[in-house]
Amino acid sequence: MLIYTLLAGLLFGLYFSLMGLGLNLMFGVMRIVNLAHGDFLMLGAFLAFWLFNLFALNPIPGVAVAFALFLLAGLPLYYLLVPRLLAARDPEMLSFILFFGFSQVIEAVATIAFGTSERSIPGGSMARAAAAVASLLDLAYRPGPIAFLGQSFPVAWLAAGIVSALAVLLIYVYLYRTRLGYLTRAVMASREEAISTGIDVHRVSAIAFGIGIALAAVAGVFVPFMLGSITPAMGVDVTITSFAVIVIGSLGNPLGTVLGGILYGVSYMFMQSYYSSWANLLPYLLLIAVLLVRPSGLLGRQVRRA
Amino acid sequence: MPRLLRHALFILVPLIAALAIAPAVYGNHLLLFNLIVFMTLAQGINIVYGFTGYLPFGYVGFFGAGAYGFSLAVMHLHASPFAALALGALAALLLGLGLTPLFRLSGAYFAIASLAAALAVLQIVSNPALEHITNGPYGVSLSGVFDPSLAYAVALAILAGTVLLVIWLRNARFGLALQAIREDAISAGMAGINVVRGRVIAWLLAALIAGLTGGVYAWYISVFYPETVFSGEVTVFAIVFALFGGTATILGPILGVAILYGIYNAIGISTPQYFQLVYGLLIMGLVLFLPNGLVSLLRRRGVDVP
Amino acid sequence: MIRHTLLAALSSLALVTPAVAAEAPAEIKLGALYASSGRFASISMPVHDGMMLWLEQKNAEGGVFVKVFNRKIPLKLIAYDDQSNTGTAATLYNQLITQDKVDILIADSGSVLTSVAVPIARDNKMLLIDQTGTGATFFTPDNPYIVLLDDPVSTIWPKPLADFLTQEGPKLGIKKVAMIYATNDFTGTQANAVRKFIKESNSGVELVYDQGVPTETSNYTVLINNIRATQPDAVIELGYAPNDIAFLRNLADSGVKFNFLFCIYPGLETDLLAKNVGAAGLNGVFTYVPSSEMSYESEFGMNLPQFKAAWNKAYGHGKVEFGFNSVAGYTTGLVLEKALATADSLDQLALRKAIFDLSGKLKTIDGTFELNAEGAQIGEITPLGQLAAEGEQIKFVTVWPFAVATGKPIYPAP
Repeated sequence: MLIYTLLAGLLFGLYFSLMGLGLNLMFGVMRIVNLAHGDFLMLGAFLAFWLFNLFALNPIPGVAVAFALFLLAGLPLYYLLVPRLLAARDPEMLSFILFFGFSQVIEAVATIAFGTSERSIPGGSMARAAAAVASLLDLAYRPGPIAFLGQSFPVAWLAAGIVSALAVLLIYVYLYRTRLGYLTRAVMASREEAISTGIDVHRVSAIAFGIGIALAAVAGVFVPFMLGSITPAMGVDVTITSFAVIVIGSLGNPLGTVLGGILYGVSYMFMQSYYSSWANLLPYLLLIAVLLVRPSGLLGRQVRRA
Repeated sequence: MPRLLRHALFILVPLIAALAIAPAVYGNHLLLFNLIVFMTLAQGINIVYGFTGYLPFGYVGFFGAGAYGFSLAVMHLHASPFAALALGALAALLLGLGLTPLFRLSGAYFAIASLAAALAVLQIVSNPALEHITNGPYGVSLSGVFDPSLAYAVALAILAGTVLLVIWLRNARFGLALQAIREDAISAGMAGINVVRGRVIAWLLAALIAGLTGGVYAWYISVFYPETVFSGEVTVFAIVFALFGGTATILGPILGVAILYGIYNAIGISTPQYFQLVYGLLIMGLVLFLPNGLVSLLRRRGVDVP
Repeated sequence: MIRHTLLAALSSLALVTPAVAAEAPAEIKLGALYASSGRFASISMPVHDGMMLWLEQKNAEGGVFVKVFNRKIPLKLIAYDDQSNTGTAATLYNQLITQDKVDILIADSGSVLTSVAVPIARDNKMLLIDQTGTGATFFTPDNPYIVLLDDPVSTIWPKPLADFLTQEGPKLGIKKVAMIYATNDFTGTQANAVRKFIKESNSGVELVYDQGVPTETSNYTVLINNIRATQPDAVIELGYAPNDIAFLRNLADSGVKFNFLFCIYPGLETDLLAKNVGAAGLNGVFTYVPSSEMSYESEFGMNLPQFKAAWNKAYGHGKVEFGFNSVAGYTTGLVLEKALATADSLDQLALRKAIFDLSGKLKTIDGTFELNAEGAQIGEITPLGQLAAEGEQIKFVTVWPFAVATGKPIYPAP
């Protein structure tokens, strides 16, 4: 039970990191708080659902489609919302309200379009994808749960864990090995200085905004397997979880998200195992404790003021 | 005539008189009661956000603490409604005191931490392990003290006290000091203003107001679930109403509630299927096009808005 | 239509000429709420449509018989959409009472949307016709203004389940029971009841695992692993539809099998669960048998086959699924019809008395109508059944109580 819980926490923690990754990138670059994050995740989940039902597209290749589509949608959305917001007196606070409104709009439109019933994608689709990957790599795989360090886990957990790890790796490469990523880090360090050195801040930010939303959509693809089922109203819970993850990691530092996710995942699973009914209290206490002891998050810079 | 007296005479007296007569003219008393509740809460937000710049995204935590403080006093101590109200307010004050360390955090961090604190209190109150104290997730039923007309009058008195407080803040040195802290805490400190004390007093006043309001709300509705009195919607409504009218003024939040809450109910009764959509779009429009509220429209025309 | 105008003309006449007897109104105004979207839409719409079916049927016959006026009077429904929002619902309940001045106030379905109506109805001295709001806190001795019509209070629901486990269980080899429940009013109350029933039975059946989880729980994999570690003979999982979906999916994905598994929603929302979990995932699962699957001896109103036929004729478009909740809404209508036919006046407390007088005597499609002193429903019970999947078809086999059983339980489940 102890080892199973620990491993489950690690695997699920990786998925939690993916959940928070986009949100954190957005905050790091623009200092705005995207309360509609969970709703983008929900839209990604619905995309995977429709891809599966209309085109019989397996969720695993669906990940690539979701990423591309949401990245493209994110760019115009940035120019529509963010520059105007940043011009206001207190954009960091106002972003709470703006994106809360946006999350209501997304949820309302999704309700009108998709109805309110729960939807999901059959669990067997993950096993089929795993079988295809296994035959590609010449590995033996029987449909069903997968053994991982001596414990058996649903194959979707492993798939989500691998995709999450890949996403983190790609963000690392983007930020530290590409020119655009270099500029992005400059904006994260100081927006004002970036502007004064002639960086096209809006272009850098728009791309970060798009990537942030696209990462949410990728996490959304795994919702039917990791979070039970999809409904238009699911966004709020996801947003709150994502916040806990990135605050524990450290706001504004995308790579800190991994630490936050794993810490959150492991402690959540231990709580669920040993103090089941209190499981949802832990994230909030952890969040407050981390903020009070190390306000910048476990891997963050200094953020206190006066 | 001193400004303070003028404001009391021309804003407070007509407002309270109108709300006192309203039940005789209009039958939907709950709507009127909610109007009072939101006017009071919006003024509470006004005191924290308008005068100190801290946005408490978990403001409902105080409201819920007040509601449960009231209910526990009635259920276990068989207290009279007025004694129970005092205990509700005390519960909110204690929560406020416990959360003062959050002031070390800035901007988004403070907002998120206060939200987490409110959610943590909800998780504790609604946990079945505490069933014998709070009745856990099964909700509260206060049939013994049921008296809606008296509760309405008390709510009105709380609103009157709150508006009076804001009138005083708007005209007294202390209010100016708070605004100075909001604009530039370091300079304010150098000018001899006790920054920490100022913020803590404003914070506790807002907690007290929400606690009293939560208590009287519990009294009025008498049957409720924990989620009802800790609903994030309460915070968001109060913030949006205050912002819509314009913060750091007396009139702004009052106008904001009267107009927006009126619109919400009109939509809610005529075309509720679009309620969430219209609500979301309104909020987005507010942030993007009117970030300083209705009063900023008047100010631009040179009208001095109290 | 002619009859309608005639009635209206008659009643307006009655207003100008001083009446000898109480003048009959042109119509009886019913006020109701429904949720076409949001969390509770899937339980609210079928209830509302079920009631509409009754209402249209009655109006086609010229209205319902009202004893006070000794004639049939047409029904008029004023219904608002609360969008599953308690704040909106509260305002709308008030609107129905104070602005529309309805004669009968009918709550939306489910405990959450009903809860806000309880104090409002009481404040305005209106009898709240509670359709499916089973919250235990609604019913207090000092509030006569509420009555629950269509399903029993939460504490009664799991009685057949617990009786089966404690009486039949030991014979089948069931000794160790594991229970996991979502900590909300609906399922938490049922868990408390199960615990109490098992403890009081002294049957040797014991709870080896008994944990509440937050209602927002969306992944049960680790919990399933923990439950398996206690080697239970039977597992009870109590939750809302999303909880049951997550639990059953996680169970299939983990490759774990329990010999006896009980969940609530495979019985109440069979089609929804089948869509999300797959028919195979529901095979052998134990659940409540709702009145939409049980043919009760119906002495008043349509019986199940007749109602199902009428439902398919009226709502064959398939947007709102036939199920337990549609029967509940229809039952609301039947109880009101019977009450109006016997009440001595249209006064709210007279209506209450008329409805209470039906207790134990009225047998409908929903079973035997029976109330306790506080207005809570205790008659229309929920028998225990087991699902059997044949391809994509899912069949109910009622296994307990014996009196209504249609088959024997399969243990261990396939």
